[in-house]
Amino acid sequence: MMKYLFAKNEDIPAGTASIYFGFSSIWWFVIGTGLGSFNAAKLAFPDFVTGTELFAFGHMRQVHVLAVIVGWISMAFGMTMMYMTPALGKTKLWSEKLGIWTALLWNVGLSLGLILLWMGITSGREYSDLIWPIDLVVIFGVLVPLGINVWMTIAQRRTQGIYITNWFFGACIFMVTITILVGQSAEIFNLTGLTEAYLTFWHAHNLLGLWITPVAAAIAYYVIPKLTGNPLYSHRIGHLHFWAIIAFYSTPASHHLLSAPLPEWLKSFASVEGVLILIPAIAFVANILLTLKGRWSMFVENVEIKFSVTGVLLAIPLNMQGGFQQTRAINWYVHGTGWIVAHAHLALLGMSSFLEAAAVYFGLQSAMRRKLYSLALANFHYWFFIIGFCTYWITMTIAGLIQGAGKIYEVPYIDVVIAEHPYMIGRWVGGTMVFTGNMVWLYNMYMTAREGTVVPKGRYAHELAYER
Amino acid sequence: MGWKFDNPLYSLADEEENKRNLALWEEEKYGGLWEGNNRLPYPLTYLIGLVILTAFLITMPIWGQRPTVALYAPMVDLMDSPEVQRMKSPEEKMAYLTQRAMEVMEASDDSRLPGLLERHPIGWYDLQLIADQVREIQSAGGPHGLDEYNIVGDQVQLSNYEGNVRPDGVRERKQPWWDRGFTIDVFYVSYFCLAMVLVCKRLPHFSQKPDMSKATT
Repeated sequence: MMKYLFAKNEDIPAGTASIYFGFSSIWWFVIGTGLGSFNAAKLAFPDFVTGTELFAFGHMRQVHVLAVIVGWISMAFGMTMMYMTPALGKTKLWSEKLGIWTALLWNVGLSLGLILLWMGITSGREYSDLIWPIDLVVIFGVLVPLGINVWMTIAQRRTQGIYITNWFFGACIFMVTITILVGQSAEIFNLTGLTEAYLTFWHAHNLLGLWITPVAAAIAYYVIPKLTGNPLYSHRIGHLHFWAIIAFYSTPASHHLLSAPLPEWLKSFASVEGVLILIPAIAFVANILLTLKGRWSMFVENVEIKFSVTGVLLAIPLNMQGGFQQTRAINWYVHGTGWIVAHAHLALLGMSSFLEAAAVYFGLQSAMRRKLYSLALANFHYWFFIIGFCTYWITMTIAGLIQGAGKIYEVPYIDVVIAEHPYMIGRWVGGTMVFTGNMVWLYNMYMTAREGTVVPKGRYAHELAYER
Repeated sequence: MGWKFDNPLYSLADEEENKRNLALWEEEKYGGLWEGNNRLPYPLTYLIGLVILTAFLITMPIWGQRPTVALYAPMVDLMDSPEVQRMKSPEEKMAYLTQRAMEVMEASDDSRLPGLLERHPIGWYDLQLIADQVREIQSAGGPHGLDEYNIVGDQVQLSNYEGNVRPDGVRERKQPWWDRGFTIDVFYVSYFCLAMVLVCKRLPHFSQKPDMSKATT
């Protein structure tokens, strides 16, 4: 892959950047979930790896979070943009070379940022923990080049219309760039107090609302119609989804700060807007599930459909929880408990990661023109992923309810810790299953690249994947 | 791009534009994909209506739920009475005072008051901090009643709300039952609904479905 860094753009085979992004994303997923498993072990077994500052939970947590968000999820997004955008415009990627350089800079920048975090060099602000020089690298070295590639590919498309997936891709890169720039301004301009808190959570919320959730949805808009052969159920519902995301997902950031001395009107506004997040969710889930009409058997047979439909189905509890847990009454109970941790994992490890896994499976096979090495290993990956995730989600939700009860009824802290101990072990078991599945996935895709049957011209990889 | 207003809920685009759109959807495949023109199923349309309603209602209990100083006035009236003086512990005094104040609230016409008092209890030492200020406001007989004052730290202050001007020229400072955040939301959601109607009605009506059998690869 490195040999193309200095090659002429026209000499680089189509899909090269996509393959680079795809393998990087799986690699970061293995690292991210490995760190998650390690951190969960520290919470389940307090004597696990002690005495070394570098392996303290306070050092390791941010590394896990950012390895998953910036490494796995965002690089999987980069991968999907590299192959879906040109396919949807019936054109080539504007610059494969820029794509390869973007992926390289992304890996280098992220590695540097995570090492600094691990060493304890941090801005100390949750979800925007990287120090501002690294943030500038992320914006101008990664997001802007990615955006230029996507926007230029859309601009030079050979179709008259622009498919929904590309609306989301184009808009979300723009919005996440603004989100990070504004979100980091607290650090750049040395803002403090309530302003800093608000900007931190405006940034954190909009990363999810304007990047992770909508781009994952955009993937479903491509993968499901592509693999089922059905037309997307509705262009007009796509409009409702897209504009509802813009209107309602960008506004409720202050629901993270319902107990802070923000103006009351802002908190009321955010609570209502937060429930309205259900509107884009309903539109999205309806559009995708109705597209599956007559093809539900593929949910059992096809690995990519299995992953993507699971992701779409997980969007239902995700948005139900998200909408209601930020109303003042429910927030009062679950704020600061494991419930929120479970909910965050439902978004990132559940809904979003299942959709990205589907896209990476499909994209790597298509770009490499190779049949999946082992369907059995892919199914193993799926089942370890879903069982591991559900174990994590359910145990953390229960732990959160215990913590909430402990908080409200003023139960001594140590009693709460003892009561939630079995659930912390459950969390570790679930997380470790996901990590194990991901290692198997990395092996499967590596073997696909090395030994997967070459797909003949005129056929698609996904058509052959299930022929034995 | 012509606009047509004779049947705005059917389509705002003229028939020629609708035909062009349908033809495009039938013929143009985006890398092997094409799109239908179905509506959101009726049950889900109603569900969205329910979500909007719920979004407002679910946080409605906080409307007008800010405690005013009037809630504690019955306690101030009784705190120096012989029966309270006889009680030894602050907890005992407050249990008695809260019970008496609750009786006053339950007898009131405003059904929100007992719940408000329940959710906003006050301690003996805090009551002592505000007692003199409450008595001063009551004896001054000013234009504002105790229900227009809030407790801010150890101070009793007029509610920080610029309300309506009464006929006698006095500006009403009482917290209203509604909330500015909700008001902004009402407008925000209304604008969204209006914009979505315009966007969707610019498309061909959902009864006009593209014939996908014409689609080319």
